[in-house]
Amino acid sequence: MSLPASGQGGARRARPSSSGRRRAWLGFVPFALFSLAFMILPASSIFLGTFRNADGQFTLMNLVHLTRPDILGAYKVTIAISAVTAAAGGLFGFLMAYAVTMGGLPRTLRSGLLTYSGVASNFAGVPLAFAFIATMGRVGMVTVILKTVFGINIYDHGFNLYGFWGLSITYLYFQLPLMVLIITPALDGVKKEWREAAESLGATKMHYWFRVALPILAPPLLSSVILLFGNAFGAYATAYALTGGFIPLVPILIGAQITGDVLHDPYLGYAMAFGMVVVMTTCIIAYSLLQKRASRWLK
Amino acid sequence: MKNLMNSIPAGIARTALAMVLAAACGPMVSAQTPYTKAPANFDDLVKAAKAEGELTVIACPRDWLNYGEIFQKFSAKYGIKINELNPEGSSGEEMEAVKANKGSKGRQAPDVVDVSLAFGPQMQNEKLLAPYKVKTWGGIPASIKEKDGYWVGGYYGNLTFEVNMDVVKNPPKDWNDLLKPEFKGKFALSGDPRIGGQGFLSVASAGIANGGDFKNLMPALNFFKKLHEAGNLVPLIAVPGTVASGETPITVRWDYLALSNRDKSAGNPPIGVFIPASGQIAGVYVQGISAYAPHPNAARLYEEYLFSDEGQLIWLSGYGHPARFDELSKANKIPAALLAKLPVAPKGVKTFFPTLEEQEFIKQAVIKDWDKVVNVNIVKK
Amino acid sequence: MKRHRGWAWLWMAFGVCYFFIPLVATFMFSLRGKRGVLSFAAYHRVFADPQFLETFTFSLEMAVFTVIVGLALIIPTVIWVNLRAPWIKPLIEGLSLLPFVIPPIVLVFGLIRLYGQPPIQLISSPALLVAGYVVLAFPYIYRAVDAGLRAMDLRGLTEAAQSLGANWATIMFKVVLPNMRVSILSATFLTFAIVIGELTMAVMLAWPAFGPYMAFIGRDLAYEPAALAILSFLLTWGLIGLLQLASRGIGSQGSSVGGGAH
Repeated sequence: MSLPASGQGGARRARPSSSGRRRAWLGFVPFALFSLAFMILPASSIFLGTFRNADGQFTLMNLVHLTRPDILGAYKVTIAISAVTAAAGGLFGFLMAYAVTMGGLPRTLRSGLLTYSGVASNFAGVPLAFAFIATMGRVGMVTVILKTVFGINIYDHGFNLYGFWGLSITYLYFQLPLMVLIITPALDGVKKEWREAAESLGATKMHYWFRVALPILAPPLLSSVILLFGNAFGAYATAYALTGGFIPLVPILIGAQITGDVLHDPYLGYAMAFGMVVVMTTCIIAYSLLQKRASRWLK
Repeated sequence: MKNLMNSIPAGIARTALAMVLAAACGPMVSAQTPYTKAPANFDDLVKAAKAEGELTVIACPRDWLNYGEIFQKFSAKYGIKINELNPEGSSGEEMEAVKANKGSKGRQAPDVVDVSLAFGPQMQNEKLLAPYKVKTWGGIPASIKEKDGYWVGGYYGNLTFEVNMDVVKNPPKDWNDLLKPEFKGKFALSGDPRIGGQGFLSVASAGIANGGDFKNLMPALNFFKKLHEAGNLVPLIAVPGTVASGETPITVRWDYLALSNRDKSAGNPPIGVFIPASGQIAGVYVQGISAYAPHPNAARLYEEYLFSDEGQLIWLSGYGHPARFDELSKANKIPAALLAKLPVAPKGVKTFFPTLEEQEFIKQAVIKDWDKVVNVNIVKK
Repeated sequence: MKRHRGWAWLWMAFGVCYFFIPLVATFMFSLRGKRGVLSFAAYHRVFADPQFLETFTFSLEMAVFTVIVGLALIIPTVIWVNLRAPWIKPLIEGLSLLPFVIPPIVLVFGLIRLYGQPPIQLISSPALLVAGYVVLAFPYIYRAVDAGLRAMDLRGLTEAAQSLGANWATIMFKVVLPNMRVSILSATFLTFAIVIGELTMAVMLAWPAFGPYMAFIGRDLAYEPAALAILSFLLTWGLIGLLQLASRGIGSQGSSVGGGAH
């Protein structure tokens, strides 16, 4: 939204003078102060702490210590869970969104799914963990049904709700709806006419999908999956409530570092937080760049 | 959303610049110097404590020895608000919390700790505690207090089996019963033995049943290895919730906790408390004031309350043996009804009191060899 | 086309199962509060617990303060920027991405390290918690407000009002804000959804909020956590439902997307 230049209508319409510009910043000051105090300064203190040691000197050692086996392991597990739930959430979310947009299902199912996704993407943290414990914990309803009706004891077969796959299944509950909500507008943008045009040119369904639809959908699909990755990477409450803070995830380690010096190095917490911010920033940048490409075809 | 995305690069650039500038003037972090001197007399202490107005405790669940009643009565008596941190924390976590909050005057910094015996000297060595001798110091046995007042034993209890009687019809009578196939997937420890007293003393208790003692933990560790390989050991930390729901129907816990869980669940499900036939281990928990306490006078007043007749009797009503038990019973200050409720070991069952050195040895042995021999991570659920 | 629809139904069925089975299981589990019978005993015990009311009220208060501070901070700023300083817009939009880049656990880590000791010691004040919540809610409040302002012709309306002789107060309260009712409602409901169950910042800053209460209940009791999960779900449903109703007015479909305390 740019200012239309105009001779009439007063100085408000014209390009503001430099003092007017300066005065215009005034209105931004309260918000700027708030952002500074509670977003920018905390973030920068993390930045500072990462590159400082106990004597106050500049150092890269904290970052080097991130390669400690236990911390590296935590990053690996966190990345793995985020990747798995992003991929699974992305795939199944896409399939469900596809089902209600282009799958020819009744309109009510579409609005039902979108409404429910809005709720489910906010239903996370402690209550979600309780729900899955009641479902798939050692005495959860599904576990018991599988044991009594089908004779399968999933825990005997190595399943563990409080481990990697259990946590992934739980995370999926808010990843899937998030994908549905993000990808539906993109799917709406895929026009029927393209398919008809392709078919009239002799393309099969496979051809259409692989040569036309998927390449166009690739940027928004990818960007949504990346967003899902970031979403899972930063998640704390669900993992904490499900595993009591033990499973080695980076957010959990940072939390443990706040409540106690469990890493035996107070500056390592800063480095881990810094690492998280780097990962999240990369995700957001990748997401926004891909979204810019997406908007061209799918308006 | 389109506008948002188009303006990202400029926005990011500006905020990045702001961050760099702000980082250049970030405040320096420095640790606070600890601890003021104690007021000369009790009335001054009460005044100073009331002025501080708050007390932060850690790892004291409300149903652990009736801490809930202690908090409520202490708050009501002196008008001091109590912040309860991390009720399920272990002694190790309490120590870490003090360390992590050395410079902080906020509500996250614990004022007092209640840790298992082995952690008292450790925290003292790491200069995390400040000395204080309560008024009733003389009535506390010398074997459970530190001579200068850095830490002092508050109470002790005995390790017992806590069993969900709905799920387990035939409760185990001793440690080796746990290896029976009927207990597959049913037993869990109530604490990680590498970081808490309840945990590593449970391991020692299993050792006694298998020919080990406080100087040799290998029989104990081998027992747990067998338990784990048989699939009878569930790698979770058993909390009242998991016992009640049947996830970990058998665990070993301090008697005062097991009995209080039994009372709380009131038959739904019925909980049985059993003393191992080969002998019960008594564990002492010690009180300490953090050297970095944000409210040092409130902390001292709290300790006075805990060791007063009133405080000690509340602990007794929570099924614990308070430190001044002998003194109080000699002075006939214990109501008969309360005495009757205390758990008593059946004839012939020995009670072992590991000394400080023995507890330290047990702790180190478990820390050193648990992962190697037993190789199972006990996870908090 | 028929095969098309077959797959569609299949994926829908899968989705429905995945979404509803945990809810049904949780509900069934929560009904086992009393031995041998299905009853709402667990729910009774939850409501009878004084700590339930205390912590829920505390979180509710925090939510109210967050909404007030957030709206009071963001609405005037966005209006100002749209009218007087449009070149600041990219900066605000960049800032609205910061809370995604700084997850709550990292933000609270930074807040504690920064404000936990002198010179500025805010750590014991609930204001710090509210500030943290405002940061968490900020992207969503901003998007709702911005969408609302774009839906109305802000510039045109204000200039028309000015040419009729209205002063700024009148313009704000009689022209702009009434047209933003929908945005304000959306922002409010979403903020409530975010704050009430929030765990990360509340537990790290050691406040007796509803999120930590639920987490600690989960350790002690068997069936009450399931009851709390159902209650929490109903509450979220209620808030988001109200949000959907409210935001139909401005057609901002994405505004309810995943802000919960995950």
